[in-house]
Amino acid sequence: MTRIILILVSLLFLSALLFAPLAVVFASAFENGLGAWFQSFTDSDTGAAIRLTLLTAAIVVPLNTLFGVCAAWCIAKFEFPGKSMLITLIDLPMAVSPVVSGLIYVLLFGAQGWFGAWLQEHDISIIFAVPGIVIATMFVTFPYVARELIPLMQQLGNDEEEAAITLGAGGWFTFFHVTLPRIRWGLLYGVILCNARAMGEFGAVSVVSGHIRGLTNTMPLHIEALYQDYSMSGAFAVASLLSLLAVVTLIIKTLLEWRMGVHHR
Amino acid sequence: MSITLEQVTKRYQGQPVVNDVSLTVAEGEFFVLLGPSGSGKSTLLRAIAGLVDIDDGTIALHGSDVTHVGARQRGVGFVFQHYALFRHLTIADNIEFALRVRRMKAADRRERRKELLKLVALEGMDERLPAQLSGGQQQRVAVARALAHKPQVLLLDEPFGALDAKIREELRWTIRRVQRELGITTVLVTHDQEEAFALADRIGVMNLGRLLEVGAPRDLYARPTTRFVATFLGAANLLLALQGAEGIRLGTTPVDATVRTPALTGREHEVVTVLRPEEVEMAAEREQLTTSYMGRATVEELQFTGALERLRLKLLDNQHAVQTTGNGAEGRIEATRLQSERRAMPLAVGAVVALGARRMHVLPTPLSSFSIHAADEAAAQLLAQAPLLETLAGRMKTRVATCADASDGAPNARPGVAVIEGSDGAALRAVQLLRAGANEVLLLSPSTTLPEQICMFWLDDAARHATMAVTASLLRHLPAEAVCVATAPAGRRDAKRANALRALLDARSEARAAHALETRTELVPGEGPQALGEYLAGLSAPLLVLGTADITTAEAALGALLARRPGMPVLVVYRESAR
Amino acid sequence: MGLRRERSVIPGFGITFGFTSFFLCALVLLPLTALVMKGAGMDWQRFVAVVTDPRALASYRLSFGASLMAAAINIVFGFIVAWTLVRYRFPGRRFIDAMIDMPFALPTAVSGLALTAVFAGNGWIGQYLEPLGIKVAYAPLGITIALTLIGMPFVVRTVQPALEELPKDVEEAAATLGAGPAYTFFRVILPALLPAILTGFTLAFARGVGEYGSITFIAGNIPMETEITPLLIVIRLDEYDYAAAAAIGCVMLAISFVMLFAINLLQAWGRRRISGAGRR
Repeated sequence: MTRIILILVSLLFLSALLFAPLAVVFASAFENGLGAWFQSFTDSDTGAAIRLTLLTAAIVVPLNTLFGVCAAWCIAKFEFPGKSMLITLIDLPMAVSPVVSGLIYVLLFGAQGWFGAWLQEHDISIIFAVPGIVIATMFVTFPYVARELIPLMQQLGNDEEEAAITLGAGGWFTFFHVTLPRIRWGLLYGVILCNARAMGEFGAVSVVSGHIRGLTNTMPLHIEALYQDYSMSGAFAVASLLSLLAVVTLIIKTLLEWRMGVHHR
Repeated sequence: MSITLEQVTKRYQGQPVVNDVSLTVAEGEFFVLLGPSGSGKSTLLRAIAGLVDIDDGTIALHGSDVTHVGARQRGVGFVFQHYALFRHLTIADNIEFALRVRRMKAADRRERRKELLKLVALEGMDERLPAQLSGGQQQRVAVARALAHKPQVLLLDEPFGALDAKIREELRWTIRRVQRELGITTVLVTHDQEEAFALADRIGVMNLGRLLEVGAPRDLYARPTTRFVATFLGAANLLLALQGAEGIRLGTTPVDATVRTPALTGREHEVVTVLRPEEVEMAAEREQLTTSYMGRATVEELQFTGALERLRLKLLDNQHAVQTTGNGAEGRIEATRLQSERRAMPLAVGAVVALGARRMHVLPTPLSSFSIHAADEAAAQLLAQAPLLETLAGRMKTRVATCADASDGAPNARPGVAVIEGSDGAALRAVQLLRAGANEVLLLSPSTTLPEQICMFWLDDAARHATMAVTASLLRHLPAEAVCVATAPAGRRDAKRANALRALLDARSEARAAHALETRTELVPGEGPQALGEYLAGLSAPLLVLGTADITTAEAALGALLARRPGMPVLVVYRESAR
Repeated sequence: MGLRRERSVIPGFGITFGFTSFFLCALVLLPLTALVMKGAGMDWQRFVAVVTDPRALASYRLSFGASLMAAAINIVFGFIVAWTLVRYRFPGRRFIDAMIDMPFALPTAVSGLALTAVFAGNGWIGQYLEPLGIKVAYAPLGITIALTLIGMPFVVRTVQPALEELPKDVEEAAATLGAGPAYTFFRVILPALLPAILTGFTLAFARGVGEYGSITFIAGNIPMETEITPLLIVIRLDEYDYAAAAAIGCVMLAISFVMLFAINLLQAWGRRRISGAGRR
C-alpha cells in the first residue's frame, strides 16, 4: 500500500514539474504541423542563433575538454602543495550564479572595465560580441570534463601507466595507448554534459551578449526574444530543438552509464 | 655483477624507508627480498626499476650507473602485484606493447609473442582480454609482457600477493622454471618466508628500511645473525644462555651449540641462542635423551596440524632463560614433532617431559637482555618506561629485569646490559658495575627518546671491535644514523691526525665488512673526551656508544661527557684487553 | 621537506599543471578579482546604500525565500522519488531514473518557457488553479516552482546513492530488535541519510539563489514583487550602473562561497560518518 502511494506521489510530482512542461514544448511546437515547425527555422535571425550556438559549442567544448584532461592528469597523477585549492577553484564556476559569471567579464572587458579602454583603442569588441559569449560560456562549462575525470583517474591508479613506462613507452604514447582508452567513456560523458550546458547557457550569455538579433543571440536568448515578441510558435520551435538536444544528451548519458557499469550522480 | 646497490637511501617526509642498503646481485641469480610490510622492500625494488627516485647512493645495472636514468630507459622487466595489465588490450597486444614501443616489425613481434606465450604455457590465449583470464593466468601474462623486450633484469613485486594458495604454488613453479630457462637475473619481493625459501638462490631480509642479512636460504635459517631474521624465518625459541671459556650453558646444564663468534672476553657473559621447534627433543626421562638436556617441562597445549604435531611447553627449571618465542607466548618453548614420533610417545596436556636440544645456534649479537639497577623498584619501573629502552627491548624481543641494589649500595652485576639512571654520580656507579662483572652499562633517563644519531667512539683500540658490534646491533633495531667518531688535534697536518683519519676509514670498512653497517665518519678537532663532548653537544639527539678496555679511563671520560651534556644516553662497552 | 613534491616517474606534471593554473587564473581568478576590486573600490556608504536599497532587500527576500521553499519541497518530494527509485521495482522505473537528470540537460530558458506555458492562466495546469484563486505564473509561487524543478535532481541524486549504500541488514537488525517500520524509519534510516539530505538541500538552495534563466520567463519581473537578485544585477547593468551591479554581485559571490564551504563541510561530515561506521 505504502509502495503504491509513494510511487503515485513520485509520478504526480514529476509529471507536474517535468513531464507536463516537456510535453507542452513539443505540443506547442508541432501545434500547426510539421511544415509550420520547419517554417519557423527559415527565419534568418533564428538561423543565425542556431549557427552562433553551434559555433560557441565548437570552440568551447574542445578547449574545455583539453583543459579537463590536463587538470585531471595533473590532479590525479601527482601530489603537490595547493592541490585542494586547485580543485576548489575548478568547482567554483558551478557555485557562482550565471549572472555573476557574465558580470565579471563585463567588469573586465566592458567599456568601463579593466581592459575596456585598451580594447576600444584597438577596436576589439568582446562584450556585446561573439568573443564575450564564448568566454562566458567557457567559464560556466569548464568544470564539467575535469570533474568527471578526476575521480575516475584517481580510482584507476597509476599501475598501468607505470607498467607502460617500465616497458619503454614515453609520455604521449602512454597517454594515448594506455590512459585514454581507459578513460574514454568518462571523458565522453563529461564532454556530453559540457556540450549540453554550453548550448543551453542563458544567464551568463545574456549578460554579455547585448541581445543583437542575428548577431549575438544564441538559441536560448533567441527564445526569450521571440517570447517577448509574443511569437510563441517560433519560441516553442526553438525550444523544442533545444529539448531534443537535452533528450539526446540524456540518452547518450544513460548509455554511457551502462557502458561504464557505474551509477553516476 | 648484474645489479649493484651502494648505500641506497630513500626518505619519505624525512623518514628513511630504505636506509643505507648496499647489495650486489650476481648474473643469473634469483634473489628474494624478504621482509614484513613496511620494511621498505617494495620501495627498494621500485628504486631499482627507476619508479622511485632515491635520495642517496647509487644503483648500477650491469656495471653502468643508472641512478639518474629514468624508468623508461632502464629496460628492466617489472611485474606488479596487481598485474597492471592493460585491460583494454588483448593478451597479444599486452605482450607486444614493449615491442611496439620499440617499433619492431609486426612479423617479429608475433614470433616473439608466440615464444613468450609458450614459455608461460598460455598458447592460444592471444586474442582474449585480461578480464577473461583467471588471476594466475593474468599474472603469467604480466610476466610474459615484462620479458618481451628481453630485459636483463626481471623485477617482481609480490607477484603472488593477490592469488589464493593453490594457484600461488603453481605459479611459483612457473616462475622458477622461466627464470632457470632464461637465466635472467631476478629480484622478487615477498613477505612470505616459505615462498622465499622455495624460490631464492639467496635471500635478503629487510626490516625498518635496513637490509639485515643476506645469504642462502639454508644458511639464513640455520645460522642467522640477528634476532629479527631468526624469528622472521620460521618459528624460533630465543633462549638466554651463558658463554664462558668452557662453552655454553643453560642455567646449570651445559649445552651443545654452534657458535659463529668465539667468546668476546675472558669473562663469562650472556648470549642469545636460537632453538628451532623441530630441534627440541622430548623424552620421558632425562636419561633417555640423546642430546644435551635443557630441563623438564609440562605440556601446556597440543595442536594437530597434519604432518606435524605442535606443542607448547612450560619449562620447570631454567625458566628465566626463555625469552619471547616467535609467537609471543612468554616463557614458553615451542616444539614440533613428526607423527611417527608422536606415535612412539603419545603426550597429553599436563604431561611432564624432559627436554633436549638437538641443535642450538648462538647469535653473535652482543646485546642479550637488560637489567635495571636502581635504588628502589619504583625508580626501576620509571626507567623501564623510557621510550628508548621500551622500544629496544620490544624490538629485540628481550626481557627487562629490575634489581634493587644491595642494602650497602653496592651493585650486584647480572648478565646482560646493566641499565642505570644517568644522573649525578652515574659515572661512578657505571664503573662499580663494570668492576662487579658487567660488560655493558647503559646510562639513560626516564625521558630518553629514540636517538637520531648513534655515535661510536672507543678510548682504546682493544675495544674497537666490540664497540662496533654493539653499535651494529643497536642499529638493527633503531632507525638512526650511524656515525663513527675519532678525535685529533686541530689544524696541524701531523702524523697524529693522519693516523686518526686512517683509523677511521679502516673502521668504516670493517663495519661494512663485518656487520654490513654503513657509517658516516667524523674527525673531530681536539683531544679526547672534551672534544667528543663538544661534538655531541651539537647533535640533536645522539646516543653514544663508548668503548673502553680500561675502567679508570672510562670513569674520567664518562664524567667529562656527562658534565658537558647531562642526561645524554651513553652505552659503555667494556672489554678487558688481553693481558 | 613536507612542501616538496615527490617526483614521479609519470611525465607531464609541468605542462598540465602550468596549463591548468594558467587557464584557471585567466578565466576564474582574474575576472573574480575584477569583481571584488570593483566592489571594494566603492565608497563604503554607497556600497551599503546599494546593497540595502529597499528594492535590493526585496529581491534578497524573494530569492532566499523562494529558494528555501523550493529546497524544502525538494527534500520531501525528492526523498520520496529517490526512495521509490531505489526501493521499488515498477514498469518505467529506469525511464524515470534517466529523466531525473533532465533539468541538468534542459536549457533553463526552455524550462522557464515551458513552465510558464503550463502554469499560465490558460495553461494545462494553470487553468485549474486560476479559479481557485491560485496564481502561479508571474507570481512568487511560479518562481518557487521553477526553482523546485531546477533543484530537484540535486536532492534526488545525492540521496539516491546514500540510500543505495544503506545496508539492508541495518533495518533487519532493527526489526529483530522489535522496532516497528515508523520507528525504524525515523530512528535508523533518516539519521543515516541526514548528511546526504542536507547536502542535497544546500546544493539545491545554492543553485536556486543564483538561478536566472528560467525565472525571467515565469516571474513577470515586477519590481519589489517578483524581481529576483540576479535580475536586479542585470537591470543595474542595463542602466550602465556597473558599480551597483558589482556591489550586488559581490554579495552574491559571498553567498556562493558560504554555500560552497557549507557543502564541503556537509560532505566531509557524511564521509566521516560512513567511514566511521564502516571501520572500527
